[in-house]
Amino acid sequence: MKNLRIHNEILYFALRNKKVQIGLIIILFFVLLALIGPTLTMYQPFEYANPLGPQAPSSKFWMGTTFFGQDVFSQFVNGLRATFIVGLLGGGIGTLLGIVIGFTAGYYGGIVDEILNALTNIVLVIPTMAVLLIIAAYLDVRSVFTECILIGLTSWPWTARAVRAQTFSLRTRDFVDLAKLSGMKSFKIIFSEIAPNMMSYLLLVFILQFGGAILTAATLDFIGLGPTNAISLGLMMQYSVLWGALPFGMWWWFVPPGLAITAIVGALYCTNVGLDEVFNPKLREM
Amino acid sequence: MHKKFLVLLSVLLVASFVFSSCAPAAEPVAEEPAAEEAVAEEAPAEPEEETIPTEFPRNETIYVSGAAWGPASTWNPFQPGSLANTTGTIGFVYEFLYNFDPQTGALTPWLAESGTWTDDTTFVVTLRPNMTWSDGEALTAEDVAYTFNLGKEYATIWFSPMWNYVESVTATSDKEVEFKLTAEPLFQEFENNLYNVPIVPKHLWEGKSEEDITVGANENPVGSGAYLYLANSEDRNIWVRNENWWGIDVFGEPAPKYIVDIRTSSNNVALGMVLKGELDLSNNFLPGVAEMADKGYVKTYYADAPYMLSANTAVLFLNTTIKPLDDAAFRRALAFAIDVPSIVNVAYAQLVKAASPSGLLPVLDRFVDQDVMAELGYSFDTAKAKQMLADAGYKDVDGDGFVETPDGETFELEVTCPNGWTDWMAAIDIIASSSQAAGINVKAAYPDQGAWNTELQGGTFNMTLNNWAAMSNTPWALYNLLFRHPIQEQMQSGNFGRYENQEMFDLVDALAEIPMSDEAAMQEACSNIQELMLTDMPMIPLWYNGLWAQYSDANWTNWPDENSANPTLPTTWSGYWQLGGLMTLINLEPAGE
Amino acid sequence: MKRYLLRKILIYLLTFFIAVTIDWMIPRFMPGDPIRNMLTRVSVSSNATAIQQMYDYYSHLFGLDLPLWQQYLNFWKSLFQGDLGISTYLFPTPVIDVIKRAVPYDIFLLLPAILLSWYAGNKFGAVAARSKRLDNTITPLSYILNATPYMWLGILLSWFFGIILGIFPIAGAYSYSLQPSFSWKFIGSVLHHWFLPFLSLFMVEFGGQAIGMRNMIIYELEADYSHYLGTLGAPQKLIRNYAFRNAILPQVTGLALKLGTIVAGALVTEVVFSYPGIGYLLLAAIQNQDYFLIQGCFLFIIVGVLIANFAIDIIYVLIDPRTRRGMTGETS
Repeated sequence: MKNLRIHNEILYFALRNKKVQIGLIIILFFVLLALIGPTLTMYQPFEYANPLGPQAPSSKFWMGTTFFGQDVFSQFVNGLRATFIVGLLGGGIGTLLGIVIGFTAGYYGGIVDEILNALTNIVLVIPTMAVLLIIAAYLDVRSVFTECILIGLTSWPWTARAVRAQTFSLRTRDFVDLAKLSGMKSFKIIFSEIAPNMMSYLLLVFILQFGGAILTAATLDFIGLGPTNAISLGLMMQYSVLWGALPFGMWWWFVPPGLAITAIVGALYCTNVGLDEVFNPKLREM
Repeated sequence: MHKKFLVLLSVLLVASFVFSSCAPAAEPVAEEPAAEEAVAEEAPAEPEEETIPTEFPRNETIYVSGAAWGPASTWNPFQPGSLANTTGTIGFVYEFLYNFDPQTGALTPWLAESGTWTDDTTFVVTLRPNMTWSDGEALTAEDVAYTFNLGKEYATIWFSPMWNYVESVTATSDKEVEFKLTAEPLFQEFENNLYNVPIVPKHLWEGKSEEDITVGANENPVGSGAYLYLANSEDRNIWVRNENWWGIDVFGEPAPKYIVDIRTSSNNVALGMVLKGELDLSNNFLPGVAEMADKGYVKTYYADAPYMLSANTAVLFLNTTIKPLDDAAFRRALAFAIDVPSIVNVAYAQLVKAASPSGLLPVLDRFVDQDVMAELGYSFDTAKAKQMLADAGYKDVDGDGFVETPDGETFELEVTCPNGWTDWMAAIDIIASSSQAAGINVKAAYPDQGAWNTELQGGTFNMTLNNWAAMSNTPWALYNLLFRHPIQEQMQSGNFGRYENQEMFDLVDALAEIPMSDEAAMQEACSNIQELMLTDMPMIPLWYNGLWAQYSDANWTNWPDENSANPTLPTTWSGYWQLGGLMTLINLEPAGE
Repeated sequence: MKRYLLRKILIYLLTFFIAVTIDWMIPRFMPGDPIRNMLTRVSVSSNATAIQQMYDYYSHLFGLDLPLWQQYLNFWKSLFQGDLGISTYLFPTPVIDVIKRAVPYDIFLLLPAILLSWYAGNKFGAVAARSKRLDNTITPLSYILNATPYMWLGILLSWFFGIILGIFPIAGAYSYSLQPSFSWKFIGSVLHHWFLPFLSLFMVEFGGQAIGMRNMIIYELEADYSHYLGTLGAPQKLIRNYAFRNAILPQVTGLALKLGTIVAGALVTEVVFSYPGIGYLLLAAIQNQDYFLIQGCFLFIIVGVLIANFAIDIIYVLIDPRTRRGMTGETS
């Protein structure tokens, strides 16, 4: 009961926070667009819909058409879906791995910590982008799903580090000692005693991972190592550059995807800052 | 504190603007002589060293692009694969016995003055008088004989297979080289090599090790040609005219003193530069050029579609070892199902044209048997494709909209091309969708280039695009690619679909052995090949990739086009200088004179 | 202290060892055959026996015909001699030469971008943390910049300045009409080509740094010691100075890490502006399946990052007493 009340209180403050409001509205807008968008257009993303080739936005093609006469709006809304999938799944895998490794290292300490910490340091030091490039280049056919896994597998170290430090400070608190004395199993302690106390923190971490995964995916897609069988916002930018959208002035092809990514990631950051203020009341006064 | 930073930033900005505005102005380089003096004092003993100018005057320089796809790394004329990045090595620096004019189909004597068959298997080449290497030494028959004999000595040199039917190549005098062939030579390949084997100076190459000859980088190459190597960097190769070229009296002097061959990284850059007149000739594939040409912003070979000359044939290879592609009737139906007009109009925006079912380029039209084409040729016709499928027993049994094999099995075929080859990606999308419209379940996939290559050579693909036969003097070059034999585990250079038909192999071998002079026999051999090819349909020629070329009149004029009296190829691609690319440079005139 | 350093060194050596081993495996255990790919287009005019001979010849040249363990030992041996093998994409140039040509461009582009953005970002961040008005403008702007995909900013800049206004070139490192020389014209051309890639890097980095600094300072101002100082009646300025000093520490770490990535280059920026650094090279190597060049680039990147990390660790121990205590505190 008491827990519920606290949650409600946080929710109340969260929804009252301007930054959270702005961020959520923007994200909600794009989520809706990704969900409903594809049903609003009769064209497939790669369909050669416009026999006249490239055209500026019109009532028939809301965001214009590509060099081949493909509907940019259709590509855009389908690309948005890929973006959210990458954010959720890629960011999710990264967060989860980071949490598990961080908790384990932080809670057990000693030799487990030594090994996991060394692993974290190694992965942290090896430049992510270079590794992603190489792995991505070796996969013959790539899907959005493999991209998510790749991003998740390389983005966890900083989360693990942060979670480990937090766990360190939490596990020495009285309530954990109490649980230990009462004979609770370690996993139970982690999940029922330590994790809830870090929930707010983990949420913030996830939001950052979400945004990071979107940016990483856009980069991979742009340099030609994105999914080979789907559309995404990064791929739209890649195609537009490859097909001379700049010298031909086809701005409607390369402006929307970048703008959407900026808006989504920016909104995520904004929400993050807002939530931070909610969780750390001290900051609210600023 | 941050004020300082802002000041710094604005200084930088202003500086950049100042530099940008003064860049085009012709500015005498005052510091230059001083620098040269300093160098001269330190090293007075090198008078022959070519001094590299710090700036190339616009009216003496031609800027070209589209040939190189990476930084220059080798100037070894026997490294054809890597040479694409130093496009001038063969053609500018090293020359050939003959040049070849693809428009007329004629071999033009180049280093050779004449060549005669003294009997069925002996060919004697007489060289032109007074030819020299760029280091001043005379170019003689010894050099020619030495070059061809390298192929005998080193099996890793690409033209070594010709020694299967060449007995000897000897210099019988200063001017004469004698080629003695065995009883059944491959005449077609032999003549092909006459304009493809670059002649190197014996006096400089004799002392080289095997490794230096076969794979060495050969920096600062010494050749006999119209241009000399000047400099290179990550994104450009620079060549300077050879003022002592022997050919000036024979062919004329190339107009541009400097050639700056630029590697543009993307369409954006190349297109932008052409439109601004910064690039005189672009041989990049630039989508949308049709529109630019119509508006008069750039020049192309043809004023209307297809705008470009045809350079090679894009062929859809079918893996004949898998079901249902092992069935000739199915393959023929597929040929009718593919929407080539859409590939031409949508994927290429009219920059290419549909291929003859024979696969031969328009310049080899005389070897196309029109009767065979009329009887067995194919064109896009979905209804007919459906009918042919039905006749051959392919019916949609399970009602999913796609046909099953005659024994009722469902199938799904994959058509591939390397990821990132955007025009081909668009083309296979159309192949897939138009096949589906005819009831054939085809999906497009774009593996990465390396994976695609492995599938291609290992024969694990279903259907894929390939265009590896270059412009040639003989139809044999294409048929050698299409019907390469024997079938091996790895097919590296043709017949990727493993089409096994001894009758066809015999026909191609027969063509290879016909002397080039016997055109009637060649036509008959080609006619037989075409008839069998279109009956069996082991692969489907679809369209001609263009000899992409867009040029600007701003600084150089007299470019070749369809109205030129003796049109040459407007190209800088590797291996095309001897196909007329160099003559294009010789014919150019500075603008405004 | 000694134990801490030893452990660090051990971890770095281990990382190096693992990285080099993975690096060695790249061309050998992944699908595809680098030699066959290299010979693909060469071999069109040759017959099958000739191709097999070429194949054997090149395999020997690259040392790929030896047993694997031998190849592995040879790899380490030549590594210590500074030999990274031969590039297939730029055959027969040694990989080390290819990389050496690219590194100066990276330094020239990234060093100023990183240093200036770090400096400016931290300044603005610190200012934003104490001025409500600035906080409402600079902070949101920084967040937006930080959320912008690099290449999109690059595309927009080159579209606007390069194509619409036409005042900056959008490709290359210097004008196509010039040869490198020590003249004003050449230097001007180099700066002219450098500016847009620099600006795009600067802007995105600036956003990240400003946010980092602002947040650090606010956290420090909210820390107990600041309040304590406040109740003691210390002047605001002094408190802020303390906060600034504490906040700058992690920012120094960030700077050192960033400097370590110089070798890695700004891949995307270099791709958008065709700027010939390591990032551009790595991408070309991947696109051309040049396993040896990929291997070399990767090694360079790893070494750069490792050295930077190691340097931070040492410096940290020297300047921040908390770390020294932390080392023992952690393991208790």
